Amino acid sequence: MKVCCLSACLVAAACAVAHAGSGDTQKLLDFYANQAKATDSAFGGFSAERGESLFRSNSTGGKPDTPSCTVCHTKDPRNVGQTRAGKDIDPMAVSANPQRYTDQEKAEKWFGRNCRNVLGRECTAREKGDFITFMLTQ
Amino acid sequence: MIAVWDLGVRLFHWLLVAAVGIAAVTGLFGPLNRLSLHVAAGATIGGLLVFRIVWGFAGTTYARFSSFAFPPSAIAAYVKELQAGRHAVYLGHNPLGSVMVFALLAILALNVTTGVIVLGGVDKQGPLAFAVSYETGTTLRAIHQILAYVLLVMIVGHLTGVVHESFRSKAKPVLAMITGEKPDTSVAITANPARAWPAFAGLALLVLLTGAAYEAIALSSRPALGVPTGSLDSTYVKECGSCHMAYPPSLGTSSRWIALMAGLADHFGEDASLEPKLMSSIRAYLINNSAEKWDTRPSHALAESNPGDPLRLTATPFWSRTHRAIPAAVFRSKAVGAKGACNACHGDAFTGRFDPQKIEIPARALQ
Repeated sequence: MKVCCLSACLVAAACAVAHAGSGDTQKLLDFYANQAKATDSAFGGFSAERGESLFRSNSTGGKPDTPSCTVCHTKDPRNVGQTRAGKDIDPMAVSANPQRYTDQEKAEKWFGRNCRNVLGRECTAREKGDFITFMLTQ
Repeated sequence: MIAVWDLGVRLFHWLLVAAVGIAAVTGLFGPLNRLSLHVAAGATIGGLLVFRIVWGFAGTTYARFSSFAFPPSAIAAYVKELQAGRHAVYLGHNPLGSVMVFALLAILALNVTTGVIVLGGVDKQGPLAFAVSYETGTTLRAIHQILAYVLLVMIVGHLTGVVHESFRSKAKPVLAMITGEKPDTSVAITANPARAWPAFAGLALLVLLTGAAYEAIALSSRPALGVPTGSLDSTYVKECGSCHMAYPPSLGTSSRWIALMAGLADHFGEDASLEPKLMSSIRAYLINNSAEKWDTRPSHALAESNPGDPLRLTATPFWSRTHRAIPAAVFRSKAVGAKGACNACHGDAFTGRFDPQKIEIPARALQ
């Protein structure tokens, strides 16, 4: 189990490097990794799997119109999504939209808003890193 | 047979029938985006009236106003004769018919005039867009509508007269308005013969119509009264326009913007919080450019809010009324997305003008 998890992490990390092609994304991941380590000494890296389940999960804690990320971003992160106000949302997957996760201020703004929208709370640094790691594999 | 209605009168009559028909149908039943057709019909009526007035002085015998300008006493006498069941036959317009002709010309001229004022004040289009306020425009719109109904009643009266005339006498008034000729009866009252001055009429028409067209074009190019120009603030577009269309500030009253910006943590069911500094600069931009500063139709019409959902523009009575014929599926469609996506159908949504002619529901949204 541990081996499996570790290998998943490694694969994710490898993919991350392969996909990112951008030092900015790595910087952002490092930023979240440092935050995660600071609050959890047992932090052992980000997981695309956990990121995916965060992306797909349904929550009752947030605002009623937005129980899941997929409401607006669709079930496939490579798709163009649509806001509730009818505006297109560029794909979340890095393969479809290389501009994603290259700007820390932007990432913080949208994690801030949308974690509160969907989960009704702030996301942890680990959740944010997991999420980005998943999107790097997509 | 004797020639009564010259070609000018006949062409005027039937072109007027067509133009008034189009103006009435587009005005009473037409969707708003048929405004251009309505305006074109109105302009045609205006041009025809100018022609008819010139021709009233320069046409042949029965085209001339002098041939059917009866004194009130003659009109009263004619009505009395009619009631008694015996009356003189006129080759041209009879005294009662002449009243109808002048009344029709007057009411058409009034409705062309009020129409131009409404177009300027309400739609901020045309030669008076630079001068007429929305308030004046809406007042005149009510008059324009009342006059249109009066005109319809008069048309019914005119048709009744024609039908009555057809049965009562051997004259076939409809045919006469086509061929221009009436049976030659010695009992009919005739007018002093007059010859047409086509060259004079043509010149007068050329001067009047080109002058009017030139003036209309020159006035139309003046900046419209109280219509925002220039583009939206780029920070505003970036921050607010990422989730929804960046609504021009002129669509909302300052009180609406103030309330909206105070509640960004729960912005129509979503968290749209902004950094405090950014929030206050956007808030200032919205208030400085709010509906009170402008004179467009949306800036006035959207000001009345729905007490049950006071901040939502698409819940306002005006929005509901003007969009009620659009199926809910159109708003849900991928091409539109939501009621708040004004720009999906309104080609000029970002200017805040919302011209009726700029509305086009995407074909994909209707499938």
